[in-house]
Amino acid sequence: MRSISKSFKPIYGILLVNLIGFVLLYFYKKPFEKITIYIGLTTMVLTSAIYLFILIKKLGDEYLFLIVSMLASIGIIMIYRLDRELGIKQVIWFTGGTVLFLISYFVFSRWNLWSRLIYLYAGTSLVLFLLTLIFGSDIKGANNWIVVAGFNFQPSEIIKVLYVMFIASYFTTPEKLNIPEITLLERKISVHNRGVFIACVYMFIGFLILQREWGSALLFFIVFYLFLYIYGTGLKTLLFNGAMAFMGGSLGYLFLYHIKVRIDIWLDPWKDVSNKGYQIAQSLFAIGAGGFFGTGLGLGRPDFIPEVHTDFIFSAICEEMGIFGGIAVILLYFLLIYRGFKIALSIREPFGKSVALGLTLMFGFQTFIILGGVTKLTPLTGITLPFISYGGSSLVSSFISLGILQAVSKKAL
Amino acid sequence: MNINRKIVHALIVISILFLSLIIYLTYFELFTKDKVIASSYNRRQFETEEKTLRGSIQDRNGTVLASSALEKEQQVRKYPYGPLYSHVIGYNSKIYGKSLLEAKYNDFLLGLNQISMVFGLRDKLSGNMKTGNNLQLTLDHKLQDKASKLLAGRKGAIVAIQPKTGEILAMVSEPDFDPNDQKLVKNWGKMVESKDAPFLSRAAQGLYNPGSTFKILISAAAVEKGMADRLFEDKGITVIDGKKFSNFNGEAHGKINLKTALAFSSNTVFSQVGVELGEGTLRDMAGRVGIGKDIGFDIPVSESIFPYSSMSKTDMASVGIGQGKMMVTPLHMAMIAAGVANEGQMMKPILVSKITTNDGRTIRNQKPSELYNMMSKETAAAVKEMMQEVVEKGTGRNAAIKGVKVAGKTGTAENEFTGREKNREHAWFVAFAPADKPQIAVAVVLEYSGSTGGSIAAPIARDLIAAWVKQ
Amino acid sequence: MFEILSSLLKYIFITIIYIFLFSIIRLIYLDIRSVNKKASDLAEKAPYLKLINRRDELYFKVEESYILSRDKSLGRAAKANISIEDPFLSGEHARFIHRDGSILLKDLGSKNGTLINGVRLTDEEVPLNNGDKIEMGQLAFLFVDNEAGEGT
Repeated sequence: MRSISKSFKPIYGILLVNLIGFVLLYFYKKPFEKITIYIGLTTMVLTSAIYLFILIKKLGDEYLFLIVSMLASIGIIMIYRLDRELGIKQVIWFTGGTVLFLISYFVFSRWNLWSRLIYLYAGTSLVLFLLTLIFGSDIKGANNWIVVAGFNFQPSEIIKVLYVMFIASYFTTPEKLNIPEITLLERKISVHNRGVFIACVYMFIGFLILQREWGSALLFFIVFYLFLYIYGTGLKTLLFNGAMAFMGGSLGYLFLYHIKVRIDIWLDPWKDVSNKGYQIAQSLFAIGAGGFFGTGLGLGRPDFIPEVHTDFIFSAICEEMGIFGGIAVILLYFLLIYRGFKIALSIREPFGKSVALGLTLMFGFQTFIILGGVTKLTPLTGITLPFISYGGSSLVSSFISLGILQAVSKKAL
Repeated sequence: MNINRKIVHALIVISILFLSLIIYLTYFELFTKDKVIASSYNRRQFETEEKTLRGSIQDRNGTVLASSALEKEQQVRKYPYGPLYSHVIGYNSKIYGKSLLEAKYNDFLLGLNQISMVFGLRDKLSGNMKTGNNLQLTLDHKLQDKASKLLAGRKGAIVAIQPKTGEILAMVSEPDFDPNDQKLVKNWGKMVESKDAPFLSRAAQGLYNPGSTFKILISAAAVEKGMADRLFEDKGITVIDGKKFSNFNGEAHGKINLKTALAFSSNTVFSQVGVELGEGTLRDMAGRVGIGKDIGFDIPVSESIFPYSSMSKTDMASVGIGQGKMMVTPLHMAMIAAGVANEGQMMKPILVSKITTNDGRTIRNQKPSELYNMMSKETAAAVKEMMQEVVEKGTGRNAAIKGVKVAGKTGTAENEFTGREKNREHAWFVAFAPADKPQIAVAVVLEYSGSTGGSIAAPIARDLIAAWVKQ
Repeated sequence: MFEILSSLLKYIFITIIYIFLFSIIRLIYLDIRSVNKKASDLAEKAPYLKLINRRDELYFKVEESYILSRDKSLGRAAKANISIEDPFLSGEHARFIHRDGSILLKDLGSKNGTLINGVRLTDEEVPLNNGDKIEMGQLAFLFVDNEAGEGT
């Protein structure tokens, strides 16, 4: 084992996984389609090429992309297995994602002005939020999609990146958010920049709640809260925001039907298993069906789970690749996050540090929220699994984040 | 650096969350998943069943008692003999689930066990539908049919066992039901609400007071204590601690020995014997034959009970004549009779003798095994002799067969109606034959028949034994 | 057919993912170890050799850095102070010698030679300066001498 792992280069692992996956997929459905082979080759060539590019050009941390490629490969194989057409689309998005990864790497490394654009981040986010509110359409119970030229586009995925940049900018140069004293009713009111910052964050979260994106709202709050803790804004701020979250949660449970339902289902999905608890029950059936090694690719019935290719893809992985496969995915995410933290820890430059930290926290908690949700460890809030779930917006946003993280890593290591 | 220290805190938090995910998943896999995936909302369950042609169930001679076939792409479970095996095989329904053998041997019938998984690959290769394993039962279709006809719709049960091996030859309970899916759907509602409890497998799950059949065991204990040759005074009635114990119809038999007392089922004698044996011996005897213990069977079986915490003299007298609070199943009574026939060795009851794959490979072969050592060879021989007397001269004369030595014991058991309504007793008869080389042991119980075991249960046992022995 | 293939390959599939995981963990671990070592060397302020090659491109064991706190020989032989199993190295390839506060490099008559900043060494001892690139066999090192480096 030791000698294997010594001579074994990680990139081989990705190539082998793709090879096995796509050979299986080729035989999976009759008639055998040549496109399966092409799709597999595309993924393999693309991954190797970009990995070699990172190595040769020394673009910083070499593990980030490797780990993400493995996750994306597992995702593509699973999605292709579930639905050939979606699988092909996912590979196209993956290709686009890797290109955006490189672009965002170079764009972020090239200029040094990113910490000064705090108003741009907030402003762009606001515009995107308003566009969603005006032009948004309801898909799957969340009003967070814009349809542009036939493409479904989820602005909140892009806002995720902007939000991290916004927070990082604030903690680098808080004075940017100073606002002049306001004279109201002949009294001078001065607001500390932290107040402005907190108000802005609540604006982000408020818009997400308006779009019924509970998962993202929770995610944004957690990242915000950890930043407050890490950057030592004092016990008072922490307590105040904690109380706000508690109040918001309780009010949501009492007055928002959707939130109450989600929590009730989490407590007992079997009470209304034919209706409200159906999704999570199907997810648990799938996870249970796999056992430790899974049924084998194409031999389970993950198609019984609603929304299996997006939010519930992890359940499908557990069914066909087993609990061991699921744990491997969790460990891959953990490695990715560990690398992210390592970058955040080793860099001295404050903006890069907070950007790396923010993106890593985003990846980490987004993963935990959805994995906890589909396994019924926590209440379920619809949110995608980064790099694995089907979806262009999600994949593109994740790869842009990764590109930025990669750029920061170059300065760190 | 202060910030770095706090970043490490965040890393620790995420590590704990991820670790808890892994632990939770493992825990789910090991402990909770079995319950979860058994939910009827899990369509996967039906998936495997649909993909596998369920194995068939046959009697000891290969007569098919249950089989599956494809009809319009749908798998249908067929029970060609309708209700005859409903209390042995049970039912297999998409709506109501599974019961009895269909439930207990589900994994085998679907071929879900490890060994055939490997060989099942051949089916995968050829693209055929997977086939499950077949069960071979110890039941004899002709005897089962005969037993059912003899019971003729009266509420009760019949169990027939081969004494040497413990193989169940026939097991009939009435009322029964038709387990074929259409009939089941049609009658389900009515049957669930019925007071007659048609879903109760009386033979294995019905608990009855054993009545005088229990005197077989009292006699055995008495023989062990050296009372075989003692003469007892039978005045037709005796009073123990102020409670009267009288013979059937108050008949007095005068000075009689144990053998005659058993032949005429003398309550006067056996109530005294019960008191003389005492609590310890009675308890010991009940324990030795497995009363109050799990006898382990292929279908769910009720445990016979001996529910005394401490016994008064009247309790001992009641147990002596087989009334009292103890309860037994017909299956258990048949096993006791078979145990006497088998020189005091009670065998483990077997219903499924063999499991074979579709291509005839045997994957499980049930060998006979001893369950309890009830009594010594000598005691068994003495009791057997006394039981022959019952059929030759005593209350069991209706069970006599020309040319076959039958050993038996009648019983008329009190129940919840006793003392309130007349003629509601259960009628019992247990027997085995031929006495010198036993081939079959039988227990017959007729619920609330209001008649004596000798008059209505004994003829049933006789006909069943005759059918088997003369075959 | 597909079912057999899939139910067999699933074990291989999952195993590969785990090997992938462990190989990454191993590389990360090696990185951390070398970083820690470097840190302690820097604390000592001793001059050292820093490997320029990527370690995972070399199929033999090589450290990220080698401290030159005293005279050291480098070669393929096990008895060399710095022993590296690069087949293109000679058994006793070169020697680092401390003299008058600076470090000299001497090629010990190696078969494939030693290059400093692209210039091949003769059999003379050559003083090393901070930032010199030393090439021998398949290896390329950077000579780092912080004490001297601070001056330049």
